[in-house]
Amino acid sequence: MCYYYVMRYNGERSTDVGLLVLTSLAEGPKHGYAITVDIEQLAGVRLGPGTLYGALARLEGSGLIEALEAQDRRRPYRLTAAGGAALQERLRALDRVTRTGFERLRLAGALP
Amino acid sequence: MTRRLAELALLAYPLAFRRRYGAELRALLDDSPPRPGTVFDVLRGAVAAHLRPPAGIDAGVVGPDDRLRASISGVLACWLAFAVAGIAFAITTEDAPFVAAGSSHPLLGDVHHAIQLLAIVASLALAAGAVPLVVGALARARRDSGLRLLVSLPVAALAAFAALTGALAAVAHAGHSAHATTGSGLAFFAWVLAGLVCAVVCLIASRRVLFLIAVAPRVLVIGFRCATIVTAAMIAMAVSTVLYAFALPIDSPGLAAAPNGPWHPTSVAVAVILQAAVMVVAAAAAATTVRRGRRAVPAIAA
Repeated sequence: MCYYYVMRYNGERSTDVGLLVLTSLAEGPKHGYAITVDIEQLAGVRLGPGTLYGALARLEGSGLIEALEAQDRRRPYRLTAAGGAALQERLRALDRVTRTGFERLRLAGALP
Repeated sequence: MTRRLAELALLAYPLAFRRRYGAELRALLDDSPPRPGTVFDVLRGAVAAHLRPPAGIDAGVVGPDDRLRASISGVLACWLAFAVAGIAFAITTEDAPFVAAGSSHPLLGDVHHAIQLLAIVASLALAAGAVPLVVGALARARRDSGLRLLVSLPVAALAAFAALTGALAAVAHAGHSAHATTGSGLAFFAWVLAGLVCAVVCLIASRRVLFLIAVAPRVLVIGFRCATIVTAAMIAMAVSTVLYAFALPIDSPGLAAAPNGPWHPTSVAVAVILQAAVMVVAAAAAATTVRRGRRAVPAIAA
C-alpha cells in the first residue's frame, strides 16, 4: 500500500518535472545547473538535484533526451526527435485543458 | 555542512546511477547554493532510483563483478539496520515474564526460539562470506598504504565504540541505581548514537575497500551466496517478528500493554511493531539488492 502511494507520488511529480525539463531543453542543449536556473525563471520552481536528475535519468532512459559530450563534469542534454514529438503532444493536451478551463470559467461568469 | 551532507546522501543512490550521474550531481551541488531541503531532495531521489530504476541505467556502467560487490555491501547495510531492530527486540523480550509467556503460549515461545536460531544462521553466513573478503583486503593492505588507512578505519571505530561501551558500563556499575535517571538516559542515547556512527563508518569503509581490491570471481560468488542466505534469514526473522507482534497482545495482553524502553515511551506491543516494521523494510531492501545481483551470477561464473 505504502509502496503504491510512493510510486504514485513519484509518477505524478515526474510527469510535471519531465514536462518542465523537456520545455527547458526545447530552447537548446543545457546542463543540470542551466536547466535548474531556466526552470526557476520559467515556472518559479527551483528543482532540487535529486528531483532534476531523477527526471533526466527517466527521460534519457525513455529516449526523449540524449546526453552530449561532457564539458568538465557538466554534461549537456538535448531533446531527441521523439522528445520533441512527446513535448508537442503534451503541450497540445495541456492547451486543450487550459482553453476548456477558461471557457468554462467564462460561461460560469467567474471571468470578467 | 548541508553541502557535505548532500554529498554523503549521494552514497544512498544505486551504484549504476552514481556512476552515470554522480559527477554531474556533484557539479550541480557545487554550482547551486545549498538549501535546507537539498539533503532531503537527494535522499528522496535515491529512494526513487532504488524503487524505480531508470530504463537501461545498468548498461555498460556496472559489470557483473561490481554488481555482486554492490549486492554484497547492500545486504551488509540492510543487515546492520536489521541488527539494530533485532537487538532492540532481544532487549525488549529478554525478561523473565516474556520467558514465562513463551512457556505458556507455544506460538510465542516457538517464534522467539526461531528468531534466535535464524539470527545465529545469519551471523554464521555473514562471517563465512566476510572472512575471505577481509583476508583478501588485509593481504592487499600490507602492500598499499592508502588501503591500509581505509582498512584501519573500521578497526579504529570498533575499538572506540568498545572503549565507550566499557567506560559507560563501568560508570553504570559504580553508580548502580534501581531507577533510570536522566543521566543514564543521556548515556544510553550517546551510546546508541556512537554505535550508529561506528556502523556507518564500518559500512562505508568496507564498501570502499570491496570496490578497490581485486577479488577472485569464485570468492565474490561465495560472498554473494552467503549474502543470499543472510537475506533469507532476515526475511524469515521479519515474518517471525510480525507474527510475534500479532500474537503477543492476544496471548498475553497484560505484558503487551506494559511500558517498555529506557524512558518507557511506549508499550511493549508498540515497540515490537516498530521493530518488526524496521526488520520488514530492511529485509525487503536486502531482497531487492539480492535479486539484482542474481542476474550477474551466470555472467561472472562464465
